[in-house]
Amino acid sequence: MSDSTFPTPRGVSRRTVLRALGSGAGAAALLPWLSNDGLLAFTELQRRMAPRAPKVVPAVRFATLQALVEAIIPADERSPGAKQARVADYIDLLLSESEDEVKQEWLDGLAALDAEAKARFGSSFAGLSPASMDRLMADISRHELEPITPLEFFFKTTKRATIHGYYTSEIGIHRELRYKGNQMLPEFVGCATEDGKDCEHCKQKAGK
Amino acid sequence: MQADPTLALDLDDIIKESRRLSMSITPDTGPWDVIVVGSGAAGGMAAFQLATAGIKVLVLEAGRMIDTQKEYRTMEWPYASMRRQRLPGDERAIAVAEYNFVDRPYGANPAFAKYKKVSSYAANTFSRNWMVNEKEQPLTGTPYAAVRARVLGGRTNLWGRGALRYGPLEFKAKSHDGYDVDWPISYEDVKPYYDKVDVLLGCSGTVEHLMQIPDGIFQRASKLNCVEVEFKRAIAKMGRHYIPGRAGVTTDGVLNKYRTRCMGRGRCGRGCDLQSSFHSPTALIYPARDTGNLTVRPYSIVAEVLFDQTRNRASGVRVIDSNTRETMDFKARVVVLGAGTLESTRILFNSKSRLHPTGLGNSSGLLGCYLSEHLMGIRGSGFMPSRIGTETTLDDGRPVPPYVPRFRNLADRHPDFLRGYHFQGGGGCAEYPGMAHETAGYGKAFKSSVRKHYPAMISLGGFGEVLPRKENRVTVDSEVKDIWGLPVLRFDYRFGENELKMAKDMAVTVEEMLVAAGAENIKISSEPLPPGWSIHEIGTARMGDDPKTSVTDRFCRLHDVNNVYMADASPFVSGGTQNTTWSILAICWRTMDYLKEQMRAGNV
Repeated sequence: MSDSTFPTPRGVSRRTVLRALGSGAGAAALLPWLSNDGLLAFTELQRRMAPRAPKVVPAVRFATLQALVEAIIPADERSPGAKQARVADYIDLLLSESEDEVKQEWLDGLAALDAEAKARFGSSFAGLSPASMDRLMADISRHELEPITPLEFFFKTTKRATIHGYYTSEIGIHRELRYKGNQMLPEFVGCATEDGKDCEHCKQKAGK
Repeated sequence: MQADPTLALDLDDIIKESRRLSMSITPDTGPWDVIVVGSGAAGGMAAFQLATAGIKVLVLEAGRMIDTQKEYRTMEWPYASMRRQRLPGDERAIAVAEYNFVDRPYGANPAFAKYKKVSSYAANTFSRNWMVNEKEQPLTGTPYAAVRARVLGGRTNLWGRGALRYGPLEFKAKSHDGYDVDWPISYEDVKPYYDKVDVLLGCSGTVEHLMQIPDGIFQRASKLNCVEVEFKRAIAKMGRHYIPGRAGVTTDGVLNKYRTRCMGRGRCGRGCDLQSSFHSPTALIYPARDTGNLTVRPYSIVAEVLFDQTRNRASGVRVIDSNTRETMDFKARVVVLGAGTLESTRILFNSKSRLHPTGLGNSSGLLGCYLSEHLMGIRGSGFMPSRIGTETTLDDGRPVPPYVPRFRNLADRHPDFLRGYHFQGGGGCAEYPGMAHETAGYGKAFKSSVRKHYPAMISLGGFGEVLPRKENRVTVDSEVKDIWGLPVLRFDYRFGENELKMAKDMAVTVEEMLVAAGAENIKISSEPLPPGWSIHEIGTARMGDDPKTSVTDRFCRLHDVNNVYMADASPFVSGGTQNTTWSILAICWRTMDYLKEQMRAGNV
């Protein structure tokens, strides 16, 4: 993951900062409420978070973790995936503050995933071809509601953390969901039928 | 631990200010006419009414003062913290299931030993600094999710903003269905005060002419979004209503220099830094202080109400300063308890004297009985087809979601249970797509399924009346004390048969409404949340005209001691399905009008 996701705070323009925040209308609405200094501080905050060195997950397994979260929520034509949203860093940070048993559970899970990949396809999980990875993912997600094997349990655990990490990230909120709230809004619009008009979003007709 | 600016708020200034105030206000600083205990909805309204009438008031707050601009982080995004708004590692909020299987006191459980602070379920990254530490303030008895905040404004800093009136169905509940007793007062007695509260504080809503939920003097209402309109049209055919939520939020503005009108950002429950949401500090305490008649003393834990045997009246309260541990007695002509139903009741229990050996105001033996609140946890959700696969819209920029008013036991009579319930909830795009956790699979298919269903979600949760029953009660524990040496509350409270039958019906009706609306992938949760979850506790000092069967009179004054008044919901006889705060504000205003008249006439 590169440092260049966010610009350095020194000497950047307000416009650059806004672009870096990437929050479109939301950021525009934030404008009157954040000074230049505030915006820069915010960018700095994001920047500092970017280059974390993993604390719990060793480098070789960190690659496995990154590949796994990306396999759960991948990049697609709409938005980047869990890897770029730094979900693996988020998980590592939470693990660094977790009990030893929890840490071990995750490290064991990642090791088991690599072992399974090696045994079946002769490569670590991160090195699998897309087709092989998909086959492995299909297998470990098969009994998602009631997992049976350790890898099925591990899939469920990782998926829960990935969902939380991804959809609370800037990428998840603004680029994937295109969430429009949390901005100054003189009046809540709602469904157009509430104002006696046909609604373009739900196709409901006025006055029914 | 990695430094996290969203967790390490710099509160030095407000703590310094709180210390300065508590050091400078001593029993000699007065005199005061009235002591008000607590600064939330009850204490705030009491202080405001008295101070603006020229009466010298001392408010005693157990916590510190609050810096609302710093502490209400209304627009903070989750990614401002790498932890994504999780509590720091050495703090723990009690999880849902734990209330039912962890022994009380919760904070004493060995599994929680490694945490410095154990808070109620309502603690989060925004409210954590206000929440009571269960290790310092234990509770015993049956499971009860008591949420306690010790800070200026109390729980109004994080309240849910539901601003609903009790109506004739509540005040005259017995006349309607024969169970228990009526209140000694009627809707007509309280209506003028609800009206005044609406105007003073601002209430958003629509006029609906529904007898189960009387209309108020409303400011601009919230609209319904697409999925909600669809749901509304469907259940209208069943004779049920789905109306914009009524919110204690000013959408048009109020005459208060500390407050601004709502700008539709959502996120009100973490504190609104525009002060559009009603929060006691800016809405009541600061304006009251501006009169010059109000003194606020923080860090003041009220141990007991002092009773003067020779004059058969309260003389003031005993305070423990939470910083210095010094004990001091503050005197006044009148004592108003507004610490919240449970804490005020505890103070009365702990005010023992020769004439009142089981607690002040308890000659009836009924203090602590009739504890009631609302049963929660019955929920239903689904996806409305018209919005599956459509683009994101702005669906949550408003104070509260819509509301299905009570429809059971109005004109008809349900064979299985008395009273009723309502549903609150709405749908559309929210910041966090909770339904992703219910979406199966992985990869691009998973991601696009979440995205497609994101605008279509609708979800409603029920609030059911818990019948007031004498055996549902609190007392004080004979052994367990808090860190100040004060006996703690002991709960003996359970949901009864009526509530459990009602809960079954809630699950059935929420499902039938979702089916009628054409929702897909309907999911029903039918397990009640732990007792206390609603934070709508009422009834432990119930009002009545007969001192043998009630604790306070119809003006919330103790039958036994004519200068002690209850400003919170402890005198409430029954609580319907409605959220409690707006009734606390209205009934407290009425109580204060009566008290002012008594003071003017020289009766106290």
